[in-house]
Amino acid sequence: MKRSLVLPTIALAALTGLAACGVGAGSSQSAPSGNELSPSASVSGEITFWHAYSAGGGEINALEKTIIPNFEKLHPGVKVHDVQVPSSDMHQKLITATAGGALPDVVRADIVTVPELAKLGVLAPLSDVMPDFQSWAAKMFPGPLATNKYKDKYWGLPLDTNTRVVIYNQDALTSQGVSQVPKSLDDLKAAASKVGGGKFIFAEGGSGAWNLLPFIWSNGGEMTDPSVSKATGYLNSPQTVDAIQMLVDMYRAKQIPGNILGGSGDTPTSDGLAKGLYDTIVDGPWTFPGLTASYPSFKPATEPMFSGSAGSISVVGGEDIVMTQQSKNKALAAEFVRYMLSPDAQQAMGKVGQLSAEPALAADMASYAPYYAPYLEQLKTARPRPATPQWAKVDDIFTKQVQLAFQGKVTVQQALDSAASQIDPLLAQG
Amino acid sequence: MSTEAPFRARTEHVPAPSRPSKPRRGGSSRRPAHWWIPWAFAAPGLAFFALTTGYPLVRSLQISFYQWSVLPGTDSPFVGFDNYVRALGDPQFWTSVVNAGAYLLMTVPATIAVSLVFAVLLHRPMPARTLFRVLYYIPVVTSWVVVSLLFKYLFSSDNGAVNWFLQDVLHAVSEPVPWLEQRWTALAAVSMLGIWKNLGWCIVVFLAALGGVQQDLYEAAALDGANAWAKFANVTFPGIRGTVIFVAIVQIIGAFNVFPSILLMTNGGPAGSTEVPLTYMYKQAFSFLDFGFASAMSFVMAIIISAVSYLQYRITREKKEARR
Repeated sequence: MKRSLVLPTIALAALTGLAACGVGAGSSQSAPSGNELSPSASVSGEITFWHAYSAGGGEINALEKTIIPNFEKLHPGVKVHDVQVPSSDMHQKLITATAGGALPDVVRADIVTVPELAKLGVLAPLSDVMPDFQSWAAKMFPGPLATNKYKDKYWGLPLDTNTRVVIYNQDALTSQGVSQVPKSLDDLKAAASKVGGGKFIFAEGGSGAWNLLPFIWSNGGEMTDPSVSKATGYLNSPQTVDAIQMLVDMYRAKQIPGNILGGSGDTPTSDGLAKGLYDTIVDGPWTFPGLTASYPSFKPATEPMFSGSAGSISVVGGEDIVMTQQSKNKALAAEFVRYMLSPDAQQAMGKVGQLSAEPALAADMASYAPYYAPYLEQLKTARPRPATPQWAKVDDIFTKQVQLAFQGKVTVQQALDSAASQIDPLLAQG
Repeated sequence: MSTEAPFRARTEHVPAPSRPSKPRRGGSSRRPAHWWIPWAFAAPGLAFFALTTGYPLVRSLQISFYQWSVLPGTDSPFVGFDNYVRALGDPQFWTSVVNAGAYLLMTVPATIAVSLVFAVLLHRPMPARTLFRVLYYIPVVTSWVVVSLLFKYLFSSDNGAVNWFLQDVLHAVSEPVPWLEQRWTALAAVSMLGIWKNLGWCIVVFLAALGGVQQDLYEAAALDGANAWAKFANVTFPGIRGTVIFVAIVQIIGAFNVFPSILLMTNGGPAGSTEVPLTYMYKQAFSFLDFGFASAMSFVMAIIISAVSYLQYRITREKKEARR
């Protein structure tokens, strides 16, 4: 090779490997037929289950030592191989496995990825292939169930759920002259001016939809129309703008810390809460085991999400259980889905921090951990983020525009007008 | 390639000794050479290259002309140069290129200058020289993930060590600097990590080159009354000039490829202001499944880097030739 060509070639080679990672050879897809997946069908063989259960909190133990062995005992001769994938890698791993035709049979998927996977053709529609789907769907909280809907079909069932409530540090509030925890958005605004000296009335860990939708919804705003086909008129409505404006004003007045811009390196919200740096945060049930472990003397208290003109509305999180089209043993996969949603498995997971999405099990859940109760209450009104295969892009556009408003580079109205006009064509793609 | 350069530089000052003439190829005592013999020796390497680099490269080029569907067997419409047009007209892509350029300017000259100083110091006989060489090399072998998170804490706004030093020790700022909340301060923080992490590798390469500079040139310079700086400028630097060019090119390519530090320290935020080409491509491919667009951007970047590297190579080579 000529010497002058060596460097450009190295540069080409170094740079272009990335985009080629996600392609692979063909796969076989078979359409499942309804009867073979009925609950009475006999099952045999093996399946693989991908999940992102955490190893530290006892979830893996519950799965591998209790749930899977019990399932295998119920169905002698079957084998479930479970594979733990770190939650941050799950999406990428699913995409590369899709391209390589190497998907597992059953996946515990983040609720926001289900419509995207459904659109890709990766998932088997449970509402079509499981004859008893309706009986399972009827058992679920409506918010978590709605995360499985795409194009009038349900592609999964809620495996576990969570939402976000206000967690506060009463001692910190008292020491700063705020006698009562803010219960509404107006209370929060009013209390903000009383707190200073490097302390903050409230801290939020990012500016994505997960972070800000509870404020928008509680204030009567929306992100899209009910059919998730349009953002203009909703994302840039006066109620949505007001909700974001309130947070932007507080940030600009240094009443909330830089965490809201995401990745700022400020003290993480739960640490700041325990240390008395932040008086209130809005977060999920996973906060409590962490606080107990790191700050045993700190007693966090809870309140429902700050209410606004539309009430107290938080956002649904959690995971759905889905079956892939590529599965070669859909009968066993369906039976495993049923078992994972059974009281036995749900209770075993509830004991290690995974909240069931089945209201009938709410009392059981509340008995496992006192901090579950406010979440179960909040779930009655909590809403899922708009279910669209374009969610990752929609959320990215929203986050970027809102961050520009936080930085004062554009007004909130300009930011949300721009976001809505960029999101509309994405939603139109369906 | 460029690693031969120090030896070439050396011959610029010393007349080459006369060497016995080369034996003719294919002499009567040797078997006739077949054209395929060198290819046979190179075949394992070439096969490995074709599999791990050639195939992905060609496949990636193909993907860049399609609206690529990640699911095998589904339609991927051919879109011609649409993905390239999109990339060239995408302000976020150009922001990411400018950020990579800024990172390059903040890291490459500083890394080369500082590592050259340390290499010259570590080349001299001194106590615990090996220990220092090992210590300076340690950052190179540490995990990018670990040190990126460590630097994120160092540059934390409210209780980071850097702000503590600036505010409480030096009293240089009245309130904490929101390092990672603003574009240029965030890029500066990431650049400091880049310099710290790459220093050791550059020092090792420079030490190897310094070992190749002839000692008698220093003796001759000393006889001519040259001081330390004159020796460095007239003997050391010309002797390792080729290595400096090599290190600069590798560092420039590396700067355009900056990835884990940005991903972990800022994730391209706030508002995409610290995005670099690789984080932007990664998000387009693996978050938004826009593999065609990501591939097109990777080829645009490849062209930019090739052009910059070639330009730099030409400029430095011409300078050298002009000196002859």
